Amino acid sequence: MSDSIIGAGAIGSGPKRIDGQRKVTGAAPYAADHHPDNVAYGYGVFSTIASGTVAGLDLDAARQSPGVIDIFHHEHFPELHRSPSSMAQGNKVEETRLPFEDNKVYYEGQFVALVVADTFENARAAARKVGVNYKSDQAIANLDQGVTAHGTQKGQGNHERGDAAGNFDGAAHSIDVTYTTPVETHNPMEMHASVASWEGDRLTIFESSQGVVQQQGALAKIFGIPPEHIRVESPFIGSGFGAKLWMWPHAVAASAAAREIGRPVQLVVPRQQMFTTTGHRPETCQRMRLATDENGKLVSLRHESINTTSFTDQYVETCGSVTKSLYSCPNLTVSHETTQVNRGTPTSMRAPGAAPGLFALESAIDEMALEAGVDPLEFRMNNYAERDESLDLDFSSNHIREATERAAEKFGWHDRNPDVGSMRDGHEIIGYGMAACNWEALKRECEARVSLRADGTAYVTCATQDIGTGTYTIIAQTVSDLTGLPIEKITVRLGDTSYPKGPISGGSWTTATTLPAVAAATRKAIEELKGYATSGKGDFADAASDSLTFENGQLTHDGQSVDYVDVLKGQKLASADGHAHTQGADSQYSYRSFGAHFVEVRWDPGISNLRVSRVVSAIDVGRVINSMTARNQVEGAIVMGLGMAHFEATEYDARNGRPVNNNYAEYVVPVHADQPPEVDVILLDYPDLEFNEFGARGIGEIGITGMAAAVANAVYHATGKRIRDLPIFKEKLMENIPAVQSA
Amino acid sequence: MSDHHKGDGSGVETFDARSPSRRRFLKSMGASGLAAATAPAWAQIAQAGQSQAEPVEPRDDGAPAEGEQQIRLTVNGVEHTLNVTPNAVLLDVLRDRLELTGTKKGCDQGQCGACTLLVNDTAINSCLSLAVSHDGDEITTIEGLSNGDDLHPVQAAFWEHDAYQCGYCTSGQIMSAVAILNDDNIGSDDASVREAMSGNICRCGAYKNILAAVQDARGRMKGAS
Repeated sequence: MSDSIIGAGAIGSGPKRIDGQRKVTGAAPYAADHHPDNVAYGYGVFSTIASGTVAGLDLDAARQSPGVIDIFHHEHFPELHRSPSSMAQGNKVEETRLPFEDNKVYYEGQFVALVVADTFENARAAARKVGVNYKSDQAIANLDQGVTAHGTQKGQGNHERGDAAGNFDGAAHSIDVTYTTPVETHNPMEMHASVASWEGDRLTIFESSQGVVQQQGALAKIFGIPPEHIRVESPFIGSGFGAKLWMWPHAVAASAAAREIGRPVQLVVPRQQMFTTTGHRPETCQRMRLATDENGKLVSLRHESINTTSFTDQYVETCGSVTKSLYSCPNLTVSHETTQVNRGTPTSMRAPGAAPGLFALESAIDEMALEAGVDPLEFRMNNYAERDESLDLDFSSNHIREATERAAEKFGWHDRNPDVGSMRDGHEIIGYGMAACNWEALKRECEARVSLRADGTAYVTCATQDIGTGTYTIIAQTVSDLTGLPIEKITVRLGDTSYPKGPISGGSWTTATTLPAVAAATRKAIEELKGYATSGKGDFADAASDSLTFENGQLTHDGQSVDYVDVLKGQKLASADGHAHTQGADSQYSYRSFGAHFVEVRWDPGISNLRVSRVVSAIDVGRVINSMTARNQVEGAIVMGLGMAHFEATEYDARNGRPVNNNYAEYVVPVHADQPPEVDVILLDYPDLEFNEFGARGIGEIGITGMAAAVANAVYHATGKRIRDLPIFKEKLMENIPAVQSA
Repeated sequence: MSDHHKGDGSGVETFDARSPSRRRFLKSMGASGLAAATAPAWAQIAQAGQSQAEPVEPRDDGAPAEGEQQIRLTVNGVEHTLNVTPNAVLLDVLRDRLELTGTKKGCDQGQCGACTLLVNDTAINSCLSLAVSHDGDEITTIEGLSNGDDLHPVQAAFWEHDAYQCGYCTSGQIMSAVAILNDDNIGSDDASVREAMSGNICRCGAYKNILAAVQDARGRMKGAS
């Protein structure tokens, strides 16, 4: 790796991050690091029931607490408006109800009051003195209770082709199994935070946001002011994994409080409420019915999913999104339904739909293969789709067979003894499992601005965000590639609505969306530069603009070269600028990313110790823009996938709907010691030039898809026990284990 | 808005030593010990010309108000006299009063490690520690590790190995790594480092790269000593 990568080598190389120094020195500013002059601090009071109403508030003690400026609640809060919540309009929110809108409580951990005081300590102390009297109703605590109480509502993303039911009965081999996944919580390291300041009717808000433009639009609707009067800044965010795509109630509360008290307000959502009022991946129940002919070829596939949603909004976890197109099957049904429970509104969490959906699908494929008597790898090879049968389109680029084969080879799948519990090493039983992974490749509209400046630097702006994925760096690589400027000379500024409109950092579409816009803006800046050079005052006054070439910072015509800096300086110009607006993807092809995970688990039956000891994954995401940050994305997604497989579940008390483990110690996420000793990621790196000029499809999400199934399949191979209910707690492997009973 | 004058609050100025922000400059002064209890005259003049939101070295010389206690903290070599309430937590005092925001709050209940810093060379979770219990202590935060662009070997190794994604847990990871690498009781093998670092969650899951960085820094620190 090199610090100074210049020119055409920049794309695809692995320069270290341009924002890295700020991250390792503590200088990168995150939302709550901002302390504007005269800032006041908010601290929330959150409901301790999951369903009911606030019957009364006792505020006397809190009001007398030192430093208290104001206490907001449903009887003391400015009248605001709801956002229409349209992504196309640029104002999407997931929870449409405003904080303090009325006295109703829909979930535990909902804002019921907000104390604002002169210091954080005083706000926290006073918040704890607020008394709340509730009238509690019976809560709907989980999916089963929701379905029993009031059934389901139809969701979107459904698909039907052929006759799945008719081809199931009488098929040579079939399975009918149900998988369940729990509520998972994003738990980004940085808690949601807003720092809001008003000057007249203009709002500036520092927010931990994956989508500053959407938040700007939503706040404009909610406060009834022009979007231009709102500036949302999020230059650094302590990750989000989807939790920070859409604004949550705290940002409205902080903004309104700041306006009411006439002072900036900082409000941080406590970790406990990161489980309640800022979204989560909902609970799912997925029935899988698969059937094959005698040769193990799929003839019928049904994936029917129900997920929990809130009483205020419908959120659909599209578990069958991948099922529609990953395997070839003429008779297929995908359906999504929701049921309302007393939890906050769910939201997208890394690979929404696909992460829980591929747990079910790829576990079911394993079960189906075994039922049909076919090796799971061979079964997949026999059934992978050659084209997208749901859209009736060719894939733009699909190397899933090569990915599967290369990962299998490196992993040593072909040395696997298929018999359950047959591979042993001392006390441990070894299991091998595999699963495919898959994610849609998306590309959105985007604007960007690039200035080639007379001081020899370039300056790039775009109102997208770098959420830890490396967007700052790959944008600099792109400009370097086109201009020949060293990366060190390129300044990139993101996460600010005063820049040209950029996309939310989600859906794995940031790379494919922003790079074409940045490239187009760079080319426009170069065109402007050529225009200056060929103008009356220019160095090539008589030449046609399109006869000039631009390489490594030099404009050349007829063998004569001039540094672009001299062109600008010669005419006393600050910069040559380009502003571009690029469009989303067309629908000529089905654009998707592919891959496969291979997992080795080691299970010690004596103490039921289960660990993942080895992972080999091969990922086909088109061209890799930065080999170091791309690999990091997949490795991190594998870790999160292991969390999903082994540990992660937000648990709710079935009696009252209250979350019982909403903290970082009891909602267990992987730590250093859980990291498998061997994780090997193969990046195939086939440019998908049908998708965009760089051939990149995006890489943030695909790595988590399929991981939980690969682990579950390996656990089955080791133990003979099929776990269809995530997570695979060790407790679930303590009894009725075929591998032990047969030993 | 005055907060914007902190300069580096809205984007990335990469490798750009020409315009160090005032905030960062003050931090680096603290780190190098140039700014002792009293800032030099030129710095005071510069401060006076800046917006009120500029960080100043809080020095509560007056008697503490009712319910407050006066403490002295030496942070990154700079001594601060502060009047604090008994419920003020060390992390919040550093972040809100001293504007040393490099130390992060990830859970506020000692479960994630993002707020790790060194007190008298021992790594602690600063969110679990009351400020009044640190009267007279020497505290090192992430801002105190580097001297301008001259990074501590652990910082350099984290950058080199991409040992982060979002960067939010990074300060805590680095401070724990510094403590571990200086602790003879912790083995140098990968499993020992993983175990010792397990109090620092990285939700982005950059564990593989963090381990590589810590082990690389071990070599760099040996080379330096």
